[in-house]
Amino acid sequence: MKLADRYNRVNIITAIIILLITGVIYYVVIHFIFTEKLDRDLAVEENEIKQYVSTYRKLPLPASFLDQQVQYKQLDKNANGSRFFRNTTFFNAKENEAEPGRSLVTTILQGDKLYEVTITKSRLEADDLVRIILLITLGVTCLLLASLILINRFFLNRLWQPFYFILQQMKAFNLIKMSEIELNATKVDEFQELNIAAVQMASSVRQDYKELRSFTDNASHEMMTPLAVINSKLDSLLQAGPISEQQGLLLNDIYIAINRLTKLNQSLLLLTKIENKLISDLQRVDISELVDEKCRQFQEIFNESNLKVNVDLQSCEVEMSRYLAEILLNNLLANAIKYNRTNGFITINLRAGNLEIINPGKEFALTEQHFDRFFKSAASEGMGLGLAIIKQICGLYNFSVSYSFPEGNHCFTIAFKN
Amino acid sequence: MKILIVEDELPLLESILSYFSEVGNICETASTYSSAYEKINLYDYDCILLDLGLPDGEGLNVLKELKKLKKNDGVLIISARHSLDDKLAGLDLGADDYLVKPFHLSELKARVSAIVRRKKFDGSNVITFNEITVDLANMETSVNGNLLTLTKKEYDLLIYFLSNKGKVVTKSAIAEHLWGDDIDISDDFDFIYTHIKNLRKKFIEAGANDYLQSVYGIGYKFATV
Repeated sequence: MKLADRYNRVNIITAIIILLITGVIYYVVIHFIFTEKLDRDLAVEENEIKQYVSTYRKLPLPASFLDQQVQYKQLDKNANGSRFFRNTTFFNAKENEAEPGRSLVTTILQGDKLYEVTITKSRLEADDLVRIILLITLGVTCLLLASLILINRFFLNRLWQPFYFILQQMKAFNLIKMSEIELNATKVDEFQELNIAAVQMASSVRQDYKELRSFTDNASHEMMTPLAVINSKLDSLLQAGPISEQQGLLLNDIYIAINRLTKLNQSLLLLTKIENKLISDLQRVDISELVDEKCRQFQEIFNESNLKVNVDLQSCEVEMSRYLAEILLNNLLANAIKYNRTNGFITINLRAGNLEIINPGKEFALTEQHFDRFFKSAASEGMGLGLAIIKQICGLYNFSVSYSFPEGNHCFTIAFKN
Repeated sequence: MKILIVEDELPLLESILSYFSEVGNICETASTYSSAYEKINLYDYDCILLDLGLPDGEGLNVLKELKKLKKNDGVLIISARHSLDDKLAGLDLGADDYLVKPFHLSELKARVSAIVRRKKFDGSNVITFNEITVDLANMETSVNGNLLTLTKKEYDLLIYFLSNKGKVVTKSAIAEHLWGDDIDISDDFDFIYTHIKNLRKKFIEAGANDYLQSVYGIGYKFATV
């Protein structure tokens, strides 16, 4: 639920409840005030009758009252005189209809006769007034609610626009693509602060990321020189004189380690370079031609490992760096050779822009994790960067890489054309 | 041949120097930009091995200076930067080749020999090693005057050995030379054995001496016994 909706709901419910309660209180209070006023008027009338009786020693004529009706009723002399107000009906002779009325019932002693006097006044005007007030209140309430809803719908949406703008930019923020977060003009302090915070965060993240990447780049480069020294010293050592078989094996192990370290360094450098988009030799590369070339290049290795290679190629031209295309194919083929079964096979299909490389696997299917840097299964003898490089190269050119494991075969598919 | 080695990493400089020091080679060294600048102004070299990252100047400026002097020295760039742009910039400025650190000394020697051969003989020349003759222009190999049919890989292998005669060449250096350094299949390079075996067989059958010696699982040496 959106913040505005939630806020609206609370707002409107509260408004309705409060307005209802106010309405009731309003009605009751006004009603009470009017009744009080009527009662006071009736008491004044009673007073006038009493003065009249004490002055003239007789009761005033009922007909002499203009706005009220007065009735007399003689009571038994010993009866208890009581005084009370009550709601009755008032018969309007002019309109010839019954109206709600208010009566004061009291007793007057005239000489030795006790009279019960009922003074009745019409309540119609007061009731009308209360009703009008109530209607106006209700009308105002409805108007208020309607305007609240309208404000929420149109104004709030516009008010939140800067927020959604920032949110969208944050969603689209991509560290690898080094995207920026723009400042948008808003007069709302909160959104301004949010915007500035987002921009600052993005730039500091970018800065950190840049430093991290240049660190990898520099570290790898710096390592190349000592590696070159070790390598050249080993080469010199080999020439120094006759070596024993044991020394030969030791030297071989050192060479292998140096070789792996060099490859690791080169792979890391390559990954940083792809990430930094520093490889720019974009050109038309015929993948089928390149696959052919690579198959020739790998021929001895296929033979050595007794691998049967089935190739079915259709021409497929792709706009990419030839250097990266070669690395991509090298890595795919190297994996297909390394993780093959003895006397296995490699099937390479290139159809409709989809390159498929299938080879029987020694173990189980690969997982998503295998595409992470430095992840490798127990049986792997590589560095764990091969698949990461494949993924990175494909990511650079928006090729999709998919992996499946049908019938115990590893199957990599690269869709060059989406 | 006369070679100038421009390299600021002294241990590496020494290794290169000792590998290239043999009868018929004159090697000079420079470990700074200024000394390299001085030497190219004073002398002519068959080949200059040029490191790009020098402490007191950019190695590429040595190339520019050579061009200004209208000298025809061969130049092989050795750099720690495996960058396509650096490579293209170097080759554009007239370098003959580009080798990325770390490298095998045998690879360096093979490349320098190739440059020197190209420069000296305009691409038409012959390498002779006792009874073996290789005509580089026609890519023909003969033993005692009899033509020998070699595959492309065997031919490349032979040239590599001839450039590094008397030296122990490691299997990984041979594999990288023949298949490129992007090939990363396995740590043992047993697949090169077939080519070595075939090359040796063809030479023996053609009546040549067996110059190829195996060095305890680590590599091979092409030398007179």
